Amino acid sequence: MNFRKKNILRNYKVSVLLYKMSFDRPLSPHLSIHKKVLTAVFSIFHRFTGICLSLGAILLSVWIILIALGPDYYSMFQNLSTLIFFKIFLFLWTLTIFYHLYNGIRYLFWSYGKMMELSIVYKSGYVVIILSILSTIFVWISI
Amino acid sequence: MKNYASKWIMQRLTAVILIPLTFWFVYQCVLLSSYDYTQIKAFFYSKINASLFFILIIAMLYHAKLGNETIVEDYVTSHNLKKTTKSIISALTYLSMILTTISLLYIISS
Repeated sequence: MNFRKKNILRNYKVSVLLYKMSFDRPLSPHLSIHKKVLTAVFSIFHRFTGICLSLGAILLSVWIILIALGPDYYSMFQNLSTLIFFKIFLFLWTLTIFYHLYNGIRYLFWSYGKMMELSIVYKSGYVVIILSILSTIFVWISI
Repeated sequence: MKNYASKWIMQRLTAVILIPLTFWFVYQCVLLSSYDYTQIKAFFYSKINASLFFILIIAMLYHAKLGNETIVEDYVTSHNLKKTTKSIISALTYLSMILTTISLLYIISS
């Protein structure tokens, strides 16, 4: 009887532990464990730029709201846009847009199972970097 | 596990929509950077510009929502925190969508 009670208690404790562990699972991409290979850095950067661009999308809606509110409110944005800090921010934004765009095209190809050979993955990665820098420079020369 | 396949497809679909629209908008931004308030407002009077901008911002916000949710699912282990973050993402997305639509309609009608 005593043995059975102990056994039930132990089973209960184990199931509670397993239940708690199910909420406390290790992170799926194991960022802190794996060696930082280039492909992983590209993937992490894609997600990081994605988060930044989501904030950018919200800023874009703030911009359109300011236009709707009228010239008095829009002048707030115009005053801000003369700052050099704002220009640097826009420059980084452009770079982020192009990186995420070109890298995203790579992801679309991968979704169809194309261009997945390791050598092509590396080569297209370098193409993404070069293209995004060139496009950003091109945009800022055109302004 | 509810319709992750459709989310995956929508993520790709919005991405495909966003590729040409992003190039278009960056090009327009280069032009818009030298415009004053009335000229920028006039930009949205054009039906093509207003509709393209509308599709761009809605697709962008939805793409961002799906992407951020995927990131949250991958990195946030606590069940409650996951739920909270996802609701914040949804709230911000839908709020931005609604306010942008109202603003655009207001600009066009004024």
